Amino acid sequence: MKFETKKDFSPKYLLLILTIICIILLILSFFAKDSILLIKKYTNKFIVPVQNSINSIGLWADNKLENLEEIEALKKENEELKNALAEANSTITTYQGKLSELESLRLLYDLDESYPEFHKTAAHIFAKDSTSWFSTFYIDKGSRDGLFPGANVLSGEGLAGIIIECSEDYAKVRAIIDDSSSISAKIMPSNALCTVEGSLSKYQDGYLVVSNIDKDASVSVGDKVVTSHISERYFQGITIGYISEINLDSNNLTMTAYLTPTVDFSNLSEVLIITDEKKY
Amino acid sequence: MLRVIVLAILIVINFTLQSTIFGFHDINSITPNLLLILTMSFGLMRGRREGMLVGFFSGFLVDSFFSSVLGPYMLLYMLIGYINGFFHKNYIVEDVLLPLIVIVIDDLIFNFFVYIFSFLLKNRLEFGLFFTRIIIPEMLTTALLTIIIYKFYVFVNKLLKKNAED
Repeated sequence: MKFETKKDFSPKYLLLILTIICIILLILSFFAKDSILLIKKYTNKFIVPVQNSINSIGLWADNKLENLEEIEALKKENEELKNALAEANSTITTYQGKLSELESLRLLYDLDESYPEFHKTAAHIFAKDSTSWFSTFYIDKGSRDGLFPGANVLSGEGLAGIIIECSEDYAKVRAIIDDSSSISAKIMPSNALCTVEGSLSKYQDGYLVVSNIDKDASVSVGDKVVTSHISERYFQGITIGYISEINLDSNNLTMTAYLTPTVDFSNLSEVLIITDEKKY
Repeated sequence: MLRVIVLAILIVINFTLQSTIFGFHDINSITPNLLLILTMSFGLMRGRREGMLVGFFSGFLVDSFFSSVLGPYMLLYMLIGYINGFFHKNYIVEDVLLPLIVIVIDDLIFNFFVYIFSFLLKNRLEFGLFFTRIIIPEMLTTALLTIIIYKFYVFVNKLLKKNAED
């Protein structure tokens, strides 16, 4: 084999140099986090607008297609909804009576504090992790809108995730189904404490893992799982999902259950973020 | 110079597509590895140096966006690009079989390393399940897309070559 110095040797040296750069960056990310965050910030500043514009093109096309299909369906739905509204109005009046009764009872028990009204803000999802292994996504609001790392992210009635990185006008959210997610929770009627963990292998069947349930706790299939009062970052009482299978662990001390999350992660495009910070 | 600009645009477009439209409505879904296709194509068509550089910058974007530390994806994409460059001497313009075989093996190696470093080390031992539910579907979608996209890259490469000669 013939060697031409320029062609055969320089890729090797280049490889060496680039590998060294990678290793330096790796070391830097562990020992000098600030400088790495700066690099990240500037590359992201350049990429985020591109992502947003590509996103809006996709959503626009999707919208146009959906509009055509939905006009007919909407007309029908409108009729049904009008009827439903009339019905709902009548039930509201009965509930209002019950609500005032409830409120007065709560005041009586001083429970008002534990069910606070959260300040929320809505955001769109504009990017998701580029590999198939992780469940993190980006939303289009950041510290400018009052978000911060550790803010709870909701979708509909359920917990969707938590903000782990926050920049000025976008933030990175780790979904509860991500393999590294772990939430302190409790199972509702019995108040049994537990830990809800995301698991990539179990989520293939649609489940999260609920571990460390006391073996004497009376837990049954269909019980509601909510965030617990001892959690450091999650507000208490946010619905996570419902128990769908319970097994006794081999250590005979704890039980492990599977949970079906209330949030549908296969079709998520808007989320709500609680802008209040949990105080101790 | 034109080549550098075109490659930079291709990397950015592939990264944004991979992170937005593909799987946009599904947080936990199989995403075809477009950046790997790009790295493989240019490694194959242009040799080790270009494969390595394309991989380096692709990995940089993935790292700066989606991992907590800078470096691991950079190394992975770069090494794959470099190794693919060795197949440059077997490169024939019309051949589709070689890139197809190479991308399947690349994707396998790529996901295998991701599995080892972020799942096996966390005591997630169900490799069979990950293999059948995540690695194989991703491999197939990536391979399928390669057939279409690779042809486009060959065309781009031809144009760039022509431009350089003129």
